[in-house]
Amino acid sequence: MIGKKDQRTVAIVWVIGIIVVWELMAFLLKNVVHDPMAATKLPYPHVVATTFMENWRMLLEAGAVTFSRAAIGFVLGTSVGILLAVFMSLSKTMERIAFPYLIISQMIPVLGLAPIIFNIVRDMNVSRIVIAAYITFFPVAVNMLSGLKSVEQEKKDLLFSIAANKFKVYQKLMFPFAMSYLFTGLKIAAPMAVTASILVDMLGSKSGIGVKILYALYSDSANIFWASVLTSAFMGIISFYIVIFAERLCLPWQNAVPGKEGVRA
Amino acid sequence: MKSKVMNLLWPLGFGIALILVWQLGIFHKILDLKPFQLPVPTEIASTLAANWPKALQDCGVTISGALIGMIIGSFIGFAIAAIATFFPKWGYGGMIVVTALNAVPIVALSPIMNLWFSTGMAQKIGVVTAVCMAAMAINAYSGLNSLNPYSIDLMHSVAANKWTIFRKLRLPNSLPYLFTASKINIASSIIAAIISEYFASSTSGLGFGIKDNLRKAEMAMGWSYIVVASLAGVILYCLILLVERDALKWHASQK
Repeated sequence: MIGKKDQRTVAIVWVIGIIVVWELMAFLLKNVVHDPMAATKLPYPHVVATTFMENWRMLLEAGAVTFSRAAIGFVLGTSVGILLAVFMSLSKTMERIAFPYLIISQMIPVLGLAPIIFNIVRDMNVSRIVIAAYITFFPVAVNMLSGLKSVEQEKKDLLFSIAANKFKVYQKLMFPFAMSYLFTGLKIAAPMAVTASILVDMLGSKSGIGVKILYALYSDSANIFWASVLTSAFMGIISFYIVIFAERLCLPWQNAVPGKEGVRA
Repeated sequence: MKSKVMNLLWPLGFGIALILVWQLGIFHKILDLKPFQLPVPTEIASTLAANWPKALQDCGVTISGALIGMIIGSFIGFAIAAIATFFPKWGYGGMIVVTALNAVPIVALSPIMNLWFSTGMAQKIGVVTAVCMAAMAINAYSGLNSLNPYSIDLMHSVAANKWTIFRKLRLPNSLPYLFTASKINIASSIIAAIISEYFASSTSGLGFGIKDNLRKAEMAMGWSYIVVASLAGVILYCLILLVERDALKWHASQK
């Protein structure tokens, strides 16, 4: 297998490679293809970088608004998801009622509901939080439940044999066991919560990074547009890595591999 | 047998109860909503029945864009995973990049595609392709690489070359993962297509329909589009399940 240090070098080379290719493509588009829209379609990365440097305060402020709403919704959705998973693992009836809906809801384009929820709530912040929570809730609940259900019966029997009560079993066995499943769900949910928050921005909010994207798009300031798009892309990536970091912190015995597949809403 | 019936009855009862509560306006009382903000199920159903051909046509536009994008994206994603498998050291770094790409919000991709392509359909396909590519690449990569060590040893012991190992061992091994990716992708491709239509220059499709009807304050029509989109998602998902059951008869998860 490849060493840790090697991995880092490879990743850095990749990032540099992508920037070089981008630079090259922008050059080709401008000087070989002579596309009149070249500066809008694909500006030079260094130009975008300088724009970002010049406007970093504005971009970060807008990003923070979007990101904090996404985070609140994410935490809310995670709590509800975990609660539901625990209820479903406690009661067979509860699982029978809720599980089919959890599965079906995975096939429903939840983000399609965004404008409708926005129309009902009529408040940017509340609808941002509601949609982010809603979208977080499903992957968390499904993955947490599958974690709670994959605890071996022998282990439970052992704890019951030393007269542990239900609460103790959950505290000492079920929760620690289900943690890695929970994090799989969280890794899927985190970027989606950010996506939801940005989408609500774009549907007619007053602040946030999505507004900056739309505004820059309509006012023909291509560099700001690209800087905003990159900021929002980074927000999604950062949210993903925050979860991975939290996983390493909470489950140090587990070697987190980015991109483990799981169930996604 | 009895538990099977119960498995069906409980959720069914819950669903019917939920729709009744909705229909009788209890949600409206709790959330302090007017009927025009949240239409009741019968109104949605009658609106959908009245506009069935139009809804179906819009659905066709969206779904065809989503499917084309998904097919292109899945092929590219699989190709990336295969290349990464043949060149493990540099491929692993590439997979990190793809994982990062997977976390990029769809809504950020959508305006970029709007700049690159001029027609609504091409914009939609572009967004869906990018979204599906990442999920497929990640799943295919883990499918091509999480091999049983004994199988690899066996292959080496008969002096199989890289290509034979790929064809005889890695490819079959990756099949369940490919279906997992397709199941993820089918839902996200429809979402991506709808989101793309919110912002693209298209004048048809579910996303445009939702946006346009909400602008005209025709909530019931907006909701019927959501119903159609969900139905399409469920049907496509079930289709993939059927194909999967047929293609993976040999696999442990199907027994």
